[in-house]
Amino acid sequence: MTDFVCYSRCRSMLLAALVCGAFASVSFAQSVGLPAPRLLTTTPMGAKIGSQVEVTISGESIEDADELMFFDRRITAARKLNAAGQAEPKKYVVSIAADCPIGIHEARVMTRLGISSSRAFCVGTLDEAVQTKPNTTLATAMELKVNSICNATMTQRAVDHYVFEAKKGQRVIVDCATRGIDSKLDATVIVADAAGRDLLVERRGGVLDFIVPADGKYVIKVHELTFKGGQAYYYRLGLWELPVGAPIVRLPSTKPVNSFSWPPQGLKEQAELAEVEPNSDRTKAQKISLPCDIAGSFFPAADVDVFEFEAKKGDVWWVEVASERFGLPTDPSILVQHVARSGDVEKLTDVAEFSDIPSPVKVSSNGYAYDGPPYNAGSADILGKLEIKEEGLHRLQITDLFGGTRNDLKNVYRLVIRKAAPDFAVVAWALHMELRNGDRNAVSKPLALRGGATMALEVLAIRRDGFDGDIDLVMEGLPEGVTASGLKIPAGQSRGLMLVTANQNAPRAVGSGTFFGRATINGEVVTRTCRLASHAWPIPDSWGEIPSPRLMADVPVSVSGLEFAPLTLTPPKEVQTVTAGEKLTIPLLHTRRSEFSGAVLQLRAMGAGFDRAPQFDVSLTADQSQAVLDTAALKTAPGDYLIAFYGGAVAKYRHQPEAIVAAEETHKKAVQELMAIEAEVKKLTEAAKAAASEAKPEADKAVEAVTAKQKAAAAAVAAAAEKIKQATAAAQPRDIVDIVVSEPIKIRVNPAEKK
Amino acid sequence: MSCSEEEFRRRLRCRGLLRLLIGVFFLAVGLLRTDAAEQPVSFVNDVVPLLTKAGCNVGVCHAKAGGGQKGFQLSLLGFEPQEDFESLTKESRNRRLFFGSPDQSLLLLKASGQMPHGGGVRLAATSEGYALLRQWIREGAALDSAAAPKLVSFEVQPARGSIKRGGEQQLQAIAKYSDGSVRDVTNMALYESNDKAMADVSERGLVKISEIVGNVAVMVRYQAKVSVYSASVPLGAPVENLPSSKNFVDELVFANLKALGIPPSVLCDDATFLRRVTLDIGGRMPTEEESAAFLAGKDAGKRDKVIDELLRSPDYADFFANKWTALLKNRRDDESDTVSNFAFHAWVRDSFLANKPYDQFVRELLAATGTVIGNPPVAWYKRVKEPKQQIEDVAQLFLGVRMQCAQCHHHPFERWSQDDYYSLVAFFSQVGRKPSGTRGEDLIFHKRGIAVAPNMKTGVPLKPGALGDAIPEIAADEDPRLKLADWMGSKTNPFFAKSLVNRYWKHFFVRGLIEPEDDIRDTNPPTNPALLEALEKHFVASGFDLKDLVRVITQSQAYQLSEVPNQHNIVDRQNYSRYYPRRLQAEVLLDAIDRLAGTQTDFANLPPGTRAVALPDNSYNRSSQFLRVFGRPEAESVCECERVQSSSLAQSLHLLNAAELKAKLAAATGRAERLAKEDKPVESKIRELYLAAFSREPRPQELKTALDYLNEPGTVANANYQDLIWALINTKEFLFNH
Repeated sequence: MTDFVCYSRCRSMLLAALVCGAFASVSFAQSVGLPAPRLLTTTPMGAKIGSQVEVTISGESIEDADELMFFDRRITAARKLNAAGQAEPKKYVVSIAADCPIGIHEARVMTRLGISSSRAFCVGTLDEAVQTKPNTTLATAMELKVNSICNATMTQRAVDHYVFEAKKGQRVIVDCATRGIDSKLDATVIVADAAGRDLLVERRGGVLDFIVPADGKYVIKVHELTFKGGQAYYYRLGLWELPVGAPIVRLPSTKPVNSFSWPPQGLKEQAELAEVEPNSDRTKAQKISLPCDIAGSFFPAADVDVFEFEAKKGDVWWVEVASERFGLPTDPSILVQHVARSGDVEKLTDVAEFSDIPSPVKVSSNGYAYDGPPYNAGSADILGKLEIKEEGLHRLQITDLFGGTRNDLKNVYRLVIRKAAPDFAVVAWALHMELRNGDRNAVSKPLALRGGATMALEVLAIRRDGFDGDIDLVMEGLPEGVTASGLKIPAGQSRGLMLVTANQNAPRAVGSGTFFGRATINGEVVTRTCRLASHAWPIPDSWGEIPSPRLMADVPVSVSGLEFAPLTLTPPKEVQTVTAGEKLTIPLLHTRRSEFSGAVLQLRAMGAGFDRAPQFDVSLTADQSQAVLDTAALKTAPGDYLIAFYGGAVAKYRHQPEAIVAAEETHKKAVQELMAIEAEVKKLTEAAKAAASEAKPEADKAVEAVTAKQKAAAAAVAAAAEKIKQATAAAQPRDIVDIVVSEPIKIRVNPAEKK
Repeated sequence: MSCSEEEFRRRLRCRGLLRLLIGVFFLAVGLLRTDAAEQPVSFVNDVVPLLTKAGCNVGVCHAKAGGGQKGFQLSLLGFEPQEDFESLTKESRNRRLFFGSPDQSLLLLKASGQMPHGGGVRLAATSEGYALLRQWIREGAALDSAAAPKLVSFEVQPARGSIKRGGEQQLQAIAKYSDGSVRDVTNMALYESNDKAMADVSERGLVKISEIVGNVAVMVRYQAKVSVYSASVPLGAPVENLPSSKNFVDELVFANLKALGIPPSVLCDDATFLRRVTLDIGGRMPTEEESAAFLAGKDAGKRDKVIDELLRSPDYADFFANKWTALLKNRRDDESDTVSNFAFHAWVRDSFLANKPYDQFVRELLAATGTVIGNPPVAWYKRVKEPKQQIEDVAQLFLGVRMQCAQCHHHPFERWSQDDYYSLVAFFSQVGRKPSGTRGEDLIFHKRGIAVAPNMKTGVPLKPGALGDAIPEIAADEDPRLKLADWMGSKTNPFFAKSLVNRYWKHFFVRGLIEPEDDIRDTNPPTNPALLEALEKHFVASGFDLKDLVRVITQSQAYQLSEVPNQHNIVDRQNYSRYYPRRLQAEVLLDAIDRLAGTQTDFANLPPGTRAVALPDNSYNRSSQFLRVFGRPEAESVCECERVQSSSLAQSLHLLNAAELKAKLAAATGRAERLAKEDKPVESKIRELYLAAFSREPRPQELKTALDYLNEPGTVANANYQDLIWALINTKEFLFNH
């Protein structure tokens, strides 16, 4: 057992570096995270309300998926049965109720390993079509009716062609849902004439608004920006008619991660005020009074919106702008100046400048080694404090730092200036750890727990208007045998953790959890929903993949019931007490269910008060270990704490070894059956030989029948043998880095006795 | 040194002969200082010009960056006399000058070759230049006082003229000083012809004209001033049957031809026109169907119609995107550049497809903000990262001004100073960057603050200034790049429209009105100033409409002249009296061969059938020997000269027997195979081939030759068709736009 406190700081750092190096050498290019079920595609990717549609799925570790589930219960799915009444693999019949909300719904499958990751499934009002054959030339263009949507998959190095008919003057909208429905496709959409000559092109994820110049046929061409293709590059191509002048409503899309912090609690859906142009310079400043809530637009190019208000010295206001969090490609910036006038001369004094909402933690640089989460809880939007230093007229100007040359009315903003309304918003994602490894699968794994596993979620808060208190993290509605322990976001900080633990005996189940942060603000307890974020696709190689994070609509938690964590670190259930300034020794019980590469597991602490504790090693072959925490070195103040230990271990993971036994059993039965049939063949053959001539035909017939049975039984034996082979191959140990998280540990630090 | 105007004129008259005599004694340079005895030698007005004329302070000698030669550093062309003075009199432990015995000065010993000198003999010991330097040292090697006369203007006389072929003209260089004095500095000035094939000029300003007709200019430099002599060299032939003018282009081209006495060629035939204009606008050969239909058409306006049709087509966008993306350095250095390069190329291509006004196009590029995917011109900032590189590229590409020199010193051929350079840099000083979600790509935004850039030499912070034009105060929260775009797009900008129309003129006429097309300066005048000005005005008035510019150029009769010279205009190389044939560009040629051979070149990860002119970046050059051999640029420079249009042995060999070409000819799905199998008359097959290759019917003799060959007994039909196609490819008529 390592008493890590004994090491000097330098020595422990050196050791850590050495161990890291050793660890890195084994983790280099290894997979990170045990296999997790991931639903990657549904075909089609959506359906019309009130309809029933056959859906085919694909994904990773979902071969044994049984149930296709939707967050909204107004969408249901049943296995598709073949003529013999048997369920067809990967096929479901999905029914969408007439009252199902239009938009994106989360689809998942329940598997042997638990609930899968989500795939966006769209529900709309237009007729749906599916691309059924290649349409990569003008000659093979697929006919698409106006007011319909086509679900399609892009072929690599190809351009999909559609043809539609329209009348002169008709306004036709062409929209292509891709990234917003979890696809990897960066679509180029082109409206061309009947000969395929380009008329209108959109490559930035926008919509094509096409006024038809003459009666006739027109072509829509779709391709990936760099002509990539394959299963992950799917799209929904919408084509509908719209009256001239009517606003365009885009196909639904998932929400960006940073939208979790918008809107502030209680904000009205519609702003009270609208920006009124012209207000682009000081002579045309729009007069407002504080507080205010204004809707505006960064239009036209290089638009500057100027507002003027009176304010009193010493007043404190909070300024918040949302625009990027609407999913827009904007970067709002605000300058507030005090205006002192003397005749026609103005003296301007900068009071405040606002730009981005910084991420509370370092965001990934998208390099090879992990150096932070590939999620940005911050935003290009604005949230800041405005302190009035001088009485009088103030001028606020808002611009879009990205809008210098762009003329797009859709780039809107909402500006709120309010008195302090302390609050917070929280978001969470699966915890990853610093590894010199490009595999980022861990950051998007579903909450599909193996028995005995603890999974950690990293939780970040955006604090509003000066709220600085503790934020407790709570998860409820969990399946039987699953517990959740929030490692709070301490006062003044923005990061916490949520540990979700399935005990070893937890039965196979799935539940829809509720996850929230809870804090006391101005004497009142408030709770705020914590949104989960994930990536649309697993990222086995961060060097070659641009992350595509989004918010999830729900928090499903499941237990496999069939597979177990390679290692469980169990601390005592009771509260561990220590006097401030003393060392606390915590025994850890190791429950090992797998072999590991390497001899030691390097652990570090997580949880406020102890997360700066030095790393320490525990043996991967021992049945127990101890952690020693020095409250003197950590300067941990008296109080109650919840912590855990975590580290990365290279498990010799074996996939479904029980499948070998089952396959062997099947094989054994098949062999027995074959032997029995062979005996029967022998018997009947001899009988046929001995049969009298009149009975001969009957006897031969019997031989023939049993010989056919023999052939079938032999084939069954061969198939069973193949199954054994496959199961054995799948169960061969594979080195996979598993992020091992201990069960939570309650610690009470008592005040030291005064001498 | 100084004298009255009258005295000056008198001296001037009798000085010609004297100058010639004295010049004989100059080994390296001629020097004339008539009043040496009257005034002490001026360092600025005598010594520095002498060093310049002797070539001491050129970039490859003592003005070489980083210490000059052997530790002796002079400012380039003497633009910094103060520094030169310090260098001469104080550095190297004062050993360069020996006041006790001036002849023993290291400066003189080396310059006269009395001591080993890497630069050779620059001033013979007997030369007046040597004597002048010796005198300056003897007088104490003083720097000019503050009251000393300063050079205020400089001119060459005559400023223009008309010279016969083979004729000569002696130029005279006149310097005027702040005290009203005037000096003849003919022998001290530097001369350079803008077309050495047309005019050669001696060190003493004697211009000798060759047999080539047209307009030529000689740049004359003295200290930091420049002046130009423009000469017209007429042919003097009768110009009687000019085609009727279709637009102002014709009026001005033909007026110039008339003035020079160069009769233009006749108009080209329909087949030549169709092929020419389709190649120039669409970057492709006309299809056989297009050629047949056009040749059969009786509509008098069919040429205008085909121009409009081509301008409407995506081919125009593809072809001009190909041109511009190379100039805008859409270069793939790493696999991770792929998305940004595709996005950038697509943005350029879509801009041309939509006929985005040119000023808007440039504005979107210069002031790009955001992400590459959200706003593809941001990709330019990924490749051109430094403000200095940004302004150099912008100036050269969009203004036709080469500013590179002015980064370190006053521009030798221009009026641009370092202040001008760094004032331009200041426009890009507030470009902010922050990391994006994509590795290697930044988000670009305007960083609030007063835009300034320090002059590298003086350290003085400079506010944005646009090549001599005042720019109103730019507030901290205004993006200065937008102000630069405003200035560029203003109707009175002297560079922006001029640069573009000259570039496009060159695209269609092979030679720019100013050459090189991106080196527009007072000292490099256009060959037809009136035409350049008219094009510029037209372009501005059209709202910077690129398609309109192409239309007005290609609709002109001047563009539609035959490439076949008449008995007079064979000597014309710059007045557009005939069409100047040009070898097809690498991409266009590859596409043309594919079309004729009935094949497709496969480009990695692009859809089958993607044309070479539609390639998004240079990365395909690596896998295509053809594109490399025929000079497809690597997008490393904003200069069109990066595209190699000259011919080479490798090109000839490639066309003769490259495996790639053979494979195309023999392709199972190719034209040769199809024609060999097709059941139709051989004559009609030959016609098809000629239409595909030359956009015309075969001539009787051509038809007979081809028929004879294809019908040769004992030969394999497929091989014969391959041979015929090969032969067609290897004709100049195929390889050239003519």
